[in-house]
Amino acid sequence: MRGLVKGLGITLKNMTKPSVTHRYPDVPLPMPDRFRGIQYFDPDLCIVCNQCVRICPTDCITLTGKKHPDPEKKGKVIDTYDINFEICILCDLCTEVCPTEAIVMTNNYELAVYSRDDLFKNMEWLHQNDENVRKENNLNKPNLAPGGNKK
Amino acid sequence: MLRTEEMLLNVGPQHPSTHGVLRLVVKIDGERIVEVEPVIGYLHRGTEKLAEDLNYTQIIPYTDRMDYLSAMTNNYALVHAVEKMMGLEIPERADYLRVIVMELNRIASHLVWMGTYLLDIGAMSPFLYAFRDREQILSLFNELCGARLTYNYMRVGGVKWDAPPGWIEKADAFVDYLLPQMDEYHGLITGNEIFVRRTKGIGIVSQELAIQYALSGANLRVSGSDWDLRKKEPYSLYDRFQFDVPVGKNGDLYDKYLCRMQEIVESLKIVKQAIDQFPEKGTIMGKVPRVLRVPEGEIYTGIESPRGELGCHIVSKGKDKPWRLKFRRPSFYNLQILPTLLVGESISNLVAILGGIDIVLGEVDC
Amino acid sequence: MNPVLVMGPILLLFVVLGFVTMAILFERKVIGWIQMRPGPNRVGPWGILQTVADVLKLLIKEDIIPSKADKPLFKLAPAIAFIPAFAVLAVIPFTESLQFSQFAVGILYYLAVSSITIIGILMGGWASNNKYALLGAMRSAAQMISYEIPLVMSVVGIILSVGSLNLVEIVEAQKQVWFIFPQFLGFAVFFIASLSELNRTPFDLPEAESELVAGYHVEYTGFRFAFFMLSEYVYVFAMASLTTVLFLGGWNAPFGLTMIPGIVWFVLKFLLIVFSLFWIRATMPRVRVDQLMEFAWKVLLPVALFNILLTAVLQEVPYLDFLYRL
Repeated sequence: MRGLVKGLGITLKNMTKPSVTHRYPDVPLPMPDRFRGIQYFDPDLCIVCNQCVRICPTDCITLTGKKHPDPEKKGKVIDTYDINFEICILCDLCTEVCPTEAIVMTNNYELAVYSRDDLFKNMEWLHQNDENVRKENNLNKPNLAPGGNKK
Repeated sequence: MLRTEEMLLNVGPQHPSTHGVLRLVVKIDGERIVEVEPVIGYLHRGTEKLAEDLNYTQIIPYTDRMDYLSAMTNNYALVHAVEKMMGLEIPERADYLRVIVMELNRIASHLVWMGTYLLDIGAMSPFLYAFRDREQILSLFNELCGARLTYNYMRVGGVKWDAPPGWIEKADAFVDYLLPQMDEYHGLITGNEIFVRRTKGIGIVSQELAIQYALSGANLRVSGSDWDLRKKEPYSLYDRFQFDVPVGKNGDLYDKYLCRMQEIVESLKIVKQAIDQFPEKGTIMGKVPRVLRVPEGEIYTGIESPRGELGCHIVSKGKDKPWRLKFRRPSFYNLQILPTLLVGESISNLVAILGGIDIVLGEVDC
Repeated sequence: MNPVLVMGPILLLFVVLGFVTMAILFERKVIGWIQMRPGPNRVGPWGILQTVADVLKLLIKEDIIPSKADKPLFKLAPAIAFIPAFAVLAVIPFTESLQFSQFAVGILYYLAVSSITIIGILMGGWASNNKYALLGAMRSAAQMISYEIPLVMSVVGIILSVGSLNLVEIVEAQKQVWFIFPQFLGFAVFFIASLSELNRTPFDLPEAESELVAGYHVEYTGFRFAFFMLSEYVYVFAMASLTTVLFLGGWNAPFGLTMIPGIVWFVLKFLLIVFSLFWIRATMPRVRVDQLMEFAWKVLLPVALFNILLTAVLQEVPYLDFLYRL
């Protein structure tokens, strides 16, 4: 009997405490900088090295390059770049291997659509997804100050 | 005695208390269980086979999705095996970060178990209180590695991210918050007579039976054996911390509950010590070759996941991909005892006993 | 025909329906607050229209009858479950003037009519031709029949004291002292047994979600499901009213605060009972079915019988008999 009464006391006490929920769809829920959201892609930085395609564990990235329009310059420029968000698991490996940070993560996470076809995002769409881009990017960046010091 | 008709009852794969997509074909005589046949495989994704086509870094996000309640320990099981095979040296700071996140993840996982178990028993509020506290751990992880569930945090040779400024202090504050919070759980649940009567003396596992069925984790410790890989075969930095291994006496569901609750406290102790010893400076990635080629041979390493011994068996032919990768998933092994435990019990104990095993279907089916 | 006699019950029906919508909302709100979340807040200001929206949804849902179901029984069951729930309200006196029928065996009528609902539940569980529904219905019948006995026995103490089965007379007898004090044992047994009669936590086994998915109404959808739900909450209304009348002095004002009208006191006491139902639901786990039976027969029934004995003995004790002989 005592345990039951004690439990009732605890629930009654908690009733007066403020709620801990977020008002999410009404108030946007900000994510920390490192959040792995929908990628932002910058075609100008891309050197078509194909590293992101090779590292992707689910093979959701497809890209094609073309010759540099300026015949003086070597190398390639990006022609098409698609991510299939039906199978992308937002694991962050593509941004980790990208040598030029052409592809980086953003804090946007709202991907719900009515048709599966809409989850196939092309280069233009990914380029326009330029809000809330992650600031702290690659591993072992020299300008990255080591944080998290002991108190 | 009246002759009664046996009835075949199908529980799951879509049932509120099978914790996912487990299916049980139960033969009942009135309310008494005569036979149980668990049917698994509804969440099978072929992780082990897929891994044979992926290099070691690419497998890490797949391990996140096995035991999705404690992805950090899964990450560690894989990278630990690879590191051991390659003989890599891990920077101390990275090791401390690993211990902190693994123990926090253990707490989060046990909180989920506690909440869902009470939901199985029929109490609603502990579930939401547990999720309220777990939410803080998930927020910490979100800040650290950018995801709340599938962390993909560890890498062969270290960890992906260093702790952001102020993160360690936040983790420290969380430990100080949760320790007194445990009293609330104990007040709400531990002394509750209905809960005690529903769990005490139910689903008893003797030590011999537990060992015969290769149980591990709290399912084994509850029967009186103090087998904990963190103590018995210390990996990572676990030999540097002071902590106890909670052991049960009777092997029943109530002891399982007490054991797991005590494990939360012990994990909090480890986190506290790790934070105190946390090195001021240091890198988070060791010297790792650009392409991870694991030398030819095979290895088995086991670590203590929240659910038991999580083993990783790698057979390598010297390539950058495993020739065969096998995970010893504790949920899968622990689930095997279920038919033995259930036969002869009343159907109203079914969910209590099943919930007590603490299975995660993502791990059972892998 | 007297227009009051016709309009009264219709009015009561609307009051009860209004109560049910509010009670479901209030229940979800209270449990939400206890669990540190706001509860329903999407439909209407403060979520006030949530239940209305839910009921509307149930009304426009497709009416599904399983092909292997016993169709006439399946259709009849919700009605049989609901009608007694509403019929019992006839004897509840809300205030001195606001009452529908005053007859000599009020309590007996309430307890007798309310047990008809079990037949509806059993029919629904059987007719669904679903194993979970059958198990739920069987448990439900066993539970409600067993708990009816302590429920009745716990009231005998009051009947002994008052010397009447008439609910109005019982309330009148509580002018000085509410029966919750002299009949505390009776109250405890009555409250626990009524929780069980209402199928509420910790005795919500018939619809134990985590075991039986939903119990006897697994196969019901749409309006038929709404009827089961409705009868459940109408019983909450009826049982809370009955508890108020029997143990909390009905419309009698405490501490001589008679300037506040009786109906307000009635509603306040009534809401207190309803709130404690929700509060208990948010706190307690569910008991097991065998423990449930054990509890009814081995604990509640002896305690209720002891209460009768105690009342009978105390009636003869000088200085105390004023509490027991009214």
